[in-house]
Amino acid sequence: MTDEPPSTPTREHPFTPPARVDIGEMLLALAAVVFGILIVWQTTLIRLTPAYSKVGPRVIPYIVGAGLVVVGVWLAYEAFTGRVPLGTTDSEDADATLPTDWRTVGLLALALLAYLLLIERAGFIIASAVLFVISAFAMGSRRQVRDIAIGIVMATILYLVFSRGLGLSLPSGVLEGII
Amino acid sequence: MPSCDLTPAVPTSRLPDSVAMTALTDLAHGFQVALTPENLLWALIGVLLGTAVGVLPGIGPALTVALLLPVTYKLEPISAFIMFAGIYYGGMYGGSTTSILLNTPGESASIVTALEGNKMAKRGRGAAALATAAIGSFVAGTIGTIGLTVLAPVMVQVGLRFGPAEYFALVVLAFTTITALLGSSVVRGILSLFFGMALGLIGIDTLSGQSRFTFGIPQLLDGIDVVTVAVGLFAVGETFWVASRMRHDPDQIIPVKGTVWMTRQEWARSWKPWLRGTALGFPIGSLPAGGAEIPTFLSYALEKRLSKHPEEFGHGAIEGVAGPEAANNASAAGVLAPLLTLGLPTSATAAILLAAFQRYGLNPGPTLFRSDPDLVWGLIASLYIGNVMLLILNLPLAGVWVRLLAIPRPLLYAAILVFAGLGTYALSGSTVDLVVLYLIGALGFVMRRFDIPVAPAVVGVILGPVAEDHFRRALQIAQGNPSTFFTRPISAAILAIAAIMLLAPPAIRWWQVRRQRQGVVSPVSAATP
Repeated sequence: MTDEPPSTPTREHPFTPPARVDIGEMLLALAAVVFGILIVWQTTLIRLTPAYSKVGPRVIPYIVGAGLVVVGVWLAYEAFTGRVPLGTTDSEDADATLPTDWRTVGLLALALLAYLLLIERAGFIIASAVLFVISAFAMGSRRQVRDIAIGIVMATILYLVFSRGLGLSLPSGVLEGII
Repeated sequence: MPSCDLTPAVPTSRLPDSVAMTALTDLAHGFQVALTPENLLWALIGVLLGTAVGVLPGIGPALTVALLLPVTYKLEPISAFIMFAGIYYGGMYGGSTTSILLNTPGESASIVTALEGNKMAKRGRGAAALATAAIGSFVAGTIGTIGLTVLAPVMVQVGLRFGPAEYFALVVLAFTTITALLGSSVVRGILSLFFGMALGLIGIDTLSGQSRFTFGIPQLLDGIDVVTVAVGLFAVGETFWVASRMRHDPDQIIPVKGTVWMTRQEWARSWKPWLRGTALGFPIGSLPAGGAEIPTFLSYALEKRLSKHPEEFGHGAIEGVAGPEAANNASAAGVLAPLLTLGLPTSATAAILLAAFQRYGLNPGPTLFRSDPDLVWGLIASLYIGNVMLLILNLPLAGVWVRLLAIPRPLLYAAILVFAGLGTYALSGSTVDLVVLYLIGALGFVMRRFDIPVAPAVVGVILGPVAEDHFRRALQIAQGNPSTFFTRPISAAILAIAAIMLLAPPAIRWWQVRRQRQGVVSPVSAATP
C-alpha cells in the first residue's frame, strides 16, 4: 500500500512532490557554490613559505572549497528533482509547518544587538538584564515587571557567582564601585 | 588503598595480561583522585547541573555541556573533568526525563524513549517509566564504564602503533559515518561538515605559521572556538528557529502519578532489555563512527521483536523505555573510548569535550594516558561515581525536575541567550566573539530552515584542523606521495570501511528500488520507528 504524499509539506510527509523547483533550495545551493568559490579565492591569497610549498597551508582549504562547490551542485540537482525537506522537525517548541514570523526574529535580533552594545559600556548585569527582558518579550512574555525583576536578579547572581566565585572577568561597567 | 607492585619480569608491552593489570592499578589511582571530598563535590555539582539543564526542553546533551563549560573555566583540570563527567551523564539522564513527561518530541536520541515513555506516563505509569529509565541508565552506564575501563588500554596499545596516516583515515571514517548515518540526507550532512571545516580553518595554520581567512581581524587569529560554534548553532540558532515558528498549542506536562517503584512485573520485563540495550549501545558507541540514534532505534526494534507483549508497543510498553535508555547511556560511555584513547570525537557532545581538553592544553590520546594517567583515570573513576549519584539523587528529585519543565518558554529561551552571551564573552572578553556568535546563530537558523544537521558542523570545526594536521604530517613522512594512505595496510583498510559506509546506504536504496520495479517486492515504506 502506498500513501499519497500531500501537496504541501506536513510533519509526517516532509518531502514535497516535484511540483515546481523550490526557490529556497536553489538559493541554498547557490550559496554553497558561492561560499566554496570564495574560499578557493581567499586560499590563493594565503602566503606560502618555501619550506611547506608542497603540503602547505593551502591544500585543505582548496579541498574544502571544492567540496562546497560540489555539494552546491548536488543540492541544485536535488532541488530540480524535487527532494526538498521541510525544516527541522525534531524541535520541542517550533512547528515547522508554520511560515516564518519575522517580527519575532527581528525583536530577538534587537535584543542581541542591545547586549552587544551594552556589555562593555553598561556592564554585564545591565546588558544581561536587558537581553533577558527583550528576549522574553519577543518570545511571548507579557509580564514585563516580573521579567525585569527576574532579569536583574539572575544577572546579578550570575555576575557574583562567575566573577567573584569562579574568577572569570565580567565587565562591571556602570556599576563599577557599587558591586 | 594499598598499592601492589605489579611490574612483571618481562617487558609489559608483550604480555596481554599486563595491560589489564596496569589498567586496574590505574583505575585504583583514579578512584583515589576521584574520591577526595573536593572532587566528590565537583562530581555532585556536575551531576545536578547536568540533569537540571538536560531536563530543560530545547537543550540537548551537547548544548548542556557547552553551556555549562564556563563553570569549569577556572578549575584545575582534574576537577574540571570530573565535573564534565557528571554533566555528561547528568545531561543524558535529564533528557530522558523530559522525553517521558513532555508530549512533544525532543532531540533525536530521546525520541525513541518518548514513544513508549510518554504513553506510559499517560496511562499513569510515568513514575515507573522514570524509574526504569533511571535504573537502566545506571546499569548501562556502569557496565559501559567497565567496558570503557577494559577497552581503553587495548585501544591505547593499538593507537600507539598508529601513524599520522592511520589517524587521518580514522578521522575520514568518523566524517563519513557522521554525515552518512545522521539526518535526512547525506548531501546536507556533507554540507554541514564542510561548513564546519571551513570555520575551523580560520586562524593561524600551526604547521606553517600563516594566517588564514582572518581578514585582518586580530581576534580571529586564534580561530573560532568550537564552543562558540556549538553555542551559536545550538542555542542561538535554535532560539531563532523557535522564535520564527513558535508552537501555539501549549505543551502538556504529564503529571507523575503512580508509585515511584516499579512493580515486580515491570522489573521482570525491564532487566533483560537493560542488558540487551547495553550490549547494543556500548560497542556501537565505541566505534570510531558517529551516532547515538542507531543503538536506540536498534534496541527499540529488538525489544519489540522479542517482547512477549508486542501489542503493547505504541501504547506504553516498558521494554520500549528500558532497552533504548540503556542503549543510549551505554553508547554515551562508549563514545568516550575513541575520544580518550585516540582523540577522536564521534558526536557533537564529544567534540565539545575535546575542545574542553584542548583548552587545558591536553590532547586526549595514547600519550595522555602515559603522561597524565591520573587525569584520565580520575575521569573514568568519576564516571562510576557519577552514575551512583545519579541513581540515588534523581528518583527522589524527579518532582523537582518536573517543575523545571513548567518554566514558561519565553523565560527559558531568554535565559538560554543570557547564558550563551556569558559563555562566549567570558572566553575572551571581546565583543568580536559575540558578533561571531550571532553570525553563527543566524547560520544555525538557516540550517534548521533547510533541515541541515548541526552536529557534523560542530565535529567539523574541531576535527577539520586535526585531520589537516595528520594529513600533512603523513604526507611529509611519505615525501609528499599521496598513495601512502592506500599503501599502508591499516590506513587503507580504514578508508575502505569509510567508503563502504558512504556508498552502502544509497546502494541499498538503489537496489531496493530496482527490486520494487521488477515487481519482486511490494513498495517499501519509509522506515520510521
